[in-house]
Amino acid sequence: MSAERSVLDVSGLPKVVFGHRSLLWWGTVGFMVIEGFTLVLMVAAYFYLRTGEMGWPPGRTPNPELLIPTINTVLLLLVMAPMHAAGKAAKRFDRRGVARGLLIACALTLVVNVLRWWELLALNVRWDAHAYASAAWGVVVLHATLIVVDFFETGTLAALFLSGRALRKHYPDVADAAFYQYFLSLAWVPVYLVIYWGPRVL
Amino acid sequence: MAHTEAHATASLLDAGGRAEMERSWRPEPGFWGWLVAVDHKSIAKRYIATAFIFFLLGGLEAMVMRIQLARPENGLLSPDQYNQLFTMHGTTMMFLFGVPVQIAVALYFVPLMVGTRNVAFPRLNAFGYWTYLIGGVLLYSGFILNTGPDAGWFNYVPLSGPQYSPGKRIDVWAQTVTFTEIASLVAAVTLIVTILKQRAPGMSLNRLPLYVWSILVTAVVILFAMPSVALASMMLAMDRLIGTHFFNPAEGGDPLLWQHLFWFFGHPEVYIMFIPATGFVSEIIPVFARRKMFGHTPLVLSLVATGFLAFGLWVHHMFTTGLPQLGQSFFTAASLMIAIPNGVQIFCWIATLWAGRPRFATPLLFVIGFIVLFVCGGITGVMVASVPFDQQAHDTYFVVAHLHYVQIGAFVFPLFGAFYYWFPKVMGRMLSETLGKVHFWLFFVGMNVTFFPMHFLGFMGMTRRVYTYPVEAGWAPLNLMATVGAALMAAGILTFLANVFTSARRGAPAGDDPWGSHTLEWGTASPPPAYNFLHIPVVQGLYALWERTPDRPVVTGMGTRRPEVLLTTVLDAEPDARYEHPGPSIAPLLCALAVGVTFIGGIFTTWAFVVGPALLFPALLVWMTTQDDHDGPRTEGEEPA
Ligand code: HEM
Ligand SMILES: [Cu+2]
Repeated sequence: MSAERSVLDVSGLPKVVFGHRSLLWWGTVGFMVIEGFTLVLMVAAYFYLRTGEMGWPPGRTPNPELLIPTINTVLLLLVMAPMHAAGKAAKRFDRRGVARGLLIACALTLVVNVLRWWELLALNVRWDAHAYASAAWGVVVLHATLIVVDFFETGTLAALFLSGRALRKHYPDVADAAFYQYFLSLAWVPVYLVIYWGPRVL
Repeated sequence: MAHTEAHATASLLDAGGRAEMERSWRPEPGFWGWLVAVDHKSIAKRYIATAFIFFLLGGLEAMVMRIQLARPENGLLSPDQYNQLFTMHGTTMMFLFGVPVQIAVALYFVPLMVGTRNVAFPRLNAFGYWTYLIGGVLLYSGFILNTGPDAGWFNYVPLSGPQYSPGKRIDVWAQTVTFTEIASLVAAVTLIVTILKQRAPGMSLNRLPLYVWSILVTAVVILFAMPSVALASMMLAMDRLIGTHFFNPAEGGDPLLWQHLFWFFGHPEVYIMFIPATGFVSEIIPVFARRKMFGHTPLVLSLVATGFLAFGLWVHHMFTTGLPQLGQSFFTAASLMIAIPNGVQIFCWIATLWAGRPRFATPLLFVIGFIVLFVCGGITGVMVASVPFDQQAHDTYFVVAHLHYVQIGAFVFPLFGAFYYWFPKVMGRMLSETLGKVHFWLFFVGMNVTFFPMHFLGFMGMTRRVYTYPVEAGWAPLNLMATVGAALMAAGILTFLANVFTSARRGAPAGDDPWGSHTLEWGTASPPPAYNFLHIPVVQGLYALWERTPDRPVVTGMGTRRPEVLLTTVLDAEPDARYEHPGPSIAPLLCALAVGVTFIGGIFTTWAFVVGPALLFPALLVWMTTQDDHDGPRTEGEEPA
């Protein structure tokens, strides 16, 4: 067997990299594709069920209300700001900045999660009334599940940075979490329009 | 890589460096070590073994069905038992064997073939295995407790809805499917990122081995196919458990919604099993033809095209549901189009064999068996893709024959070929060639004796999923023949098992590279060490090992005190970063258990959807806070910031 010969020395390469140079960024993209596509399919099912009904909402079911859902949409968009700040702080390896951003984002996300309940009530119909109700609940609950999981993840990350156990290699994770937050917040906008405004025009 | 020579300062590892590598990659010992393992080889081996156990169970179920059908008016099985058996068989083969085994093999070989030390997300990977295991155990626990699903592997509503299937049988099916979907999705993400970011320097995308290409395409197909069935099974579970009406026409729901969502996944699923199988074929052929592959680029393009087309075909499973005319023509055309990339692939394979000096060892035999059977299955596939024909053959044994020619011919045969080819790498010993050939011939003859007559049974009007038939139907001789064929296949499988168990202990030592192959996994020991490669190889051509002359170019300067993998750029595989790897952890198992509590508990009470996630939180905490429990002092720049 021939001998090994060194042709490439990598000892000088960095150990902490951000964005598309890091593994987690790519993993995040993968999960965004999965979650985004699941939402798309769920919304497609909503439209598919529409074709079988004369009216939408069917029968005497009232239109969904707009107040709470609109407030919550704004809040969800606002979460992007502290996450953005945390992401930028992460790139400076600024522990305080990261912790502050994550904490504020967590608090806001908590409010969003709680308001989600009233957002579901704003649909003005129970999930087991008919297919329209099931589909509308289905879409909102699906996105809600993502937000709950996100709350846990941001929470754990915040705990990590507050406890002082965070290492340098954890900073890129914060930047990726911010990146994921944009997806989560922005994906809600079309969903909100379809579910809460859609019945007024469909 | 112009900068390489200039920087060649770090030297190869000395004895001390080697010892450090051994220590930082050493798996934890004992049973606990098995529970916390995150090494891709360790996870993949148990994944493969589990999938094969399910293959044997599914085969057993098939055998019992064949015995029941061997003669008319047989009383071995009741109609209810038969319903459970074909559903268990179909569900096992598709969800617990077909897709998982392809994922499992990829999890073992992809990191080795791209020249890295572990998969991109080792803990996620372990989590995926545990969820898969929980799903399989759930299905078989249900079966043992006489709660086996009984509405067929595609589980059509309204039969599977709350009205016609009370009890828990269908819920067991729906949650099993949910578990296997989660497992496939996390594996797909893991594989994609491993392939894109951890290739050895020099392995630019155009030097990616064909098998790795096939896995990349398959993983992308998984990303888009699996959400559909996960969603469908969740909707079904909710219709059954909390009274939603997705599929209930009385309240504005639509049973066809189930069929669309299911087949949007179900057709691509066949390709999830088949595309990696073509990857096996493309690895085996050049090695045993002893020449480079004819038409590498057309083969890559065919793989990608097959992946795309897989999504255009789902409606051909619904031709008998009264879809609009235009839709039918479109999907017929699309179904016929897939013959083009498949034809290109077959042409390249045959041309390579033709121009080479083939060595007819067992792996190549299985590949040739595949080509023969695949052409047969493909022909009947083109037949059922035409609407008028499908309306005659739908739900008859013609379809049973067709689907088994495709599944067994195009997936199980290449899989066995790959098993004989790669077994020496995993176990360090060769399988017996004699037993291998006996296995091949029993399986090949048995396969045809079993399924060829079924085409005629279909023409004679025998419908699928019947537990028995009257004497007057005249189906008895061909059915008996099919059962004899199944017995031959079973004998083939027993030969295979005997081969595996004897060779694992007493087979001839394999050495690093028994077949004279060209991909990187053959450039390290058999079985590979925990870190796969002491020095990460540098790749200089498409056929990495055939083109590394005069000596073996490698990377130096990787850390040894902590497990590190090398990250490279997506297109050109230029070295970019050294990434410190997470170590063994119990968290993946804990997370999988929490997910298990959620979905299995959910069959019985909605509280499970509160308790399960509440358990998930501490498990996630363990996951995140134990990222680096490797011993040894931290070096500069790694200190807590
Ligand atoms: C190993 C030898 C095999 C034998 C003898 C066998 C036999 C059978 C039999 C008797 C049926 C039931 C037909 C009916 O009553 O309608 C069946 C159905 C089926 N088989 Fe197999 N099979 C084998 C392997 C496989 C493999 C490897 C796969 C897939 C990877 C597979 C997938 C299926 C599916 C999807 C069904 C349809 C189940 C349903 O109707 O819900 N089989 N097979
Ligand atoms: Cu199909």
